[in-house]
Amino acid sequence: MLEFFRREVYGNFYSWRGAAWLVAASLIFSLVAYLLMTDKELSLLQQGEMIYILGEVIVALGVVMSAASASSTISGEMEAGTMESILLTPITHRQIAVQKLLSILSIWAIFYLISVPYLVVVSLGTNLTLAAVFYVGFFGTILVTAISSLSIAISAKLKSSKSSMMTALMTIIILLAPTMFFSTLFRTTSFGIMLDQINPVSHAINSLDSVLVDNQQTLAEQFNHIWPVIVFLIICMSLFMIYTKRLEVQGTQ
Amino acid sequence: MGVLSPSISTSNLSKIYGRFKAVDSLTMNVESGDIFGFLGPNGSGKTTTIRMLCGLILPSAGKAEIAGFDIIKDGVEIRKIIGLFPESSGFYNWMSAEEYLNYFAALYKINAQIAKKRTKDLLEKVELAGKSHVPIGYYSRGMKQRLGLARTLINDPQIIFLDEPTLGLDPKGQQDIQKILFDLNHDKGITIFLSSHALNEVSSLCKNVAILNRGRLVAQGTIDELRKRVEGSKGLLVTILNSSGAQEALSHMPFQVDVKADGKLIHVTIPETFESVNGIIDRFEKNGLQIYEIIRQEMNLEEIFIKLTADTRKPLDQGVPKQHA
Repeated sequence: MLEFFRREVYGNFYSWRGAAWLVAASLIFSLVAYLLMTDKELSLLQQGEMIYILGEVIVALGVVMSAASASSTISGEMEAGTMESILLTPITHRQIAVQKLLSILSIWAIFYLISVPYLVVVSLGTNLTLAAVFYVGFFGTILVTAISSLSIAISAKLKSSKSSMMTALMTIIILLAPTMFFSTLFRTTSFGIMLDQINPVSHAINSLDSVLVDNQQTLAEQFNHIWPVIVFLIICMSLFMIYTKRLEVQGTQ
Repeated sequence: MGVLSPSISTSNLSKIYGRFKAVDSLTMNVESGDIFGFLGPNGSGKTTTIRMLCGLILPSAGKAEIAGFDIIKDGVEIRKIIGLFPESSGFYNWMSAEEYLNYFAALYKINAQIAKKRTKDLLEKVELAGKSHVPIGYYSRGMKQRLGLARTLINDPQIIFLDEPTLGLDPKGQQDIQKILFDLNHDKGITIFLSSHALNEVSSLCKNVAILNRGRLVAQGTIDELRKRVEGSKGLLVTILNSSGAQEALSHMPFQVDVKADGKLIHVTIPETFESVNGIIDRFEKNGLQIYEIIRQEMNLEEIFIKLTADTRKPLDQGVPKQHA
């Protein structure tokens, strides 16, 4: 069944969907790292905060990339008429979905490997290098797996690329909004705190803050941030399992 | 599986979208080794039926079996022995035809050596061997249709479903695909379930047909049986030699005739129910009419189809479709 996975990965890169993400990611990492090192105001930040900002960018971009790729992976093939032939082969529907998920995770894997040298360079001279590489990889992988699973489930359920992409991206905006777009003051209000408590992405970002800025590097210290992210992963994987059990083409028009 | 055991059988098979019955209690049998024509106007439920039989969509009610396998429980087993040529299929445009067929062979878990040989044979059969390394994106519609047929056959299926296989093809392309289908059935005994609007194609290939209208089966049988059912004889066309007294003699005949004189011959159309052929011959000879030929005029499949599906003027009583089928 590796043939299907191989074709998925090749298709991702041939269509420049995956490759474009990787090129864009490299440019963004370079720009962020350059600004952190050279910009007068940003360079005044503590080095831990610099690594945190870079880590936040890596995780956020990974999540957006996975949602954008996964949300049309099934609906797109159904619209293009290629899914029908695949569904007629003895491969089970879940195998199809799992291999699509793995192909998106493979883009994340390359994406993450590209980010590692930037994390290493920005954290040079501190004891945060390993923690930065580990926690960014850890939370990035869990969130990307969760969001990709959720987006594939949406794609399988809605069967329309436009609808599934819109739904997945709206979900991402809602998840990223508290940490990316809301002010620090808003986040200290009771409503802001509640949003942070129920938002897995906020937990991941807050954990990076805690590890890289407050230097609380052990897993035990981060447990309160880790379990909500794991629960989110379990929920997303469950939806993935439910909606990919049987992939159905639509009736004819 | 015996030679005459049904390859495909359905029992009250239905597909309902909301209040709209796309397929309504369809019960039919297709014998093994048959080329079966599946006809119906647009939106009559043909494609939905094919998709249910191939396991692409679940039926709302009823049962169906393909070569003895239940379409709901034995989906994987069924997919191993069938091939589907869909009405409009997509292709991975970056792949070449050879890569494409090898890819599907791998999905069917066909041994690489066998897959390579089968790919080569199929590309030759559909006349794409010379273009096997060209990316599919550069193919014409006709070439893609041929490649689609090759993909349908890559797993050496026992039963193939074809949904408008010659749609959009030029006459040569249509003829080629018909020949391939005929050979597959004749040489390998493959059961062919053919849905097509090209009724001359169905007439020439199929012995048995079923006609669907508004999701319901309106007729099933051989083309002759359907013709009898719709009283599909248009009578006898008797051609006689023209002579000075011929038209005068015809005017005294005790039945209404349609006389069309074109110089040397007179064509007389007589309802078949009027008299036996021998009686007509005797009657004409007694009146000094010289018979040149007698032809039984029968309804062709197109006329039978139109007659059997002529109830489309009735108002919809099945609700407004949410999803057409």
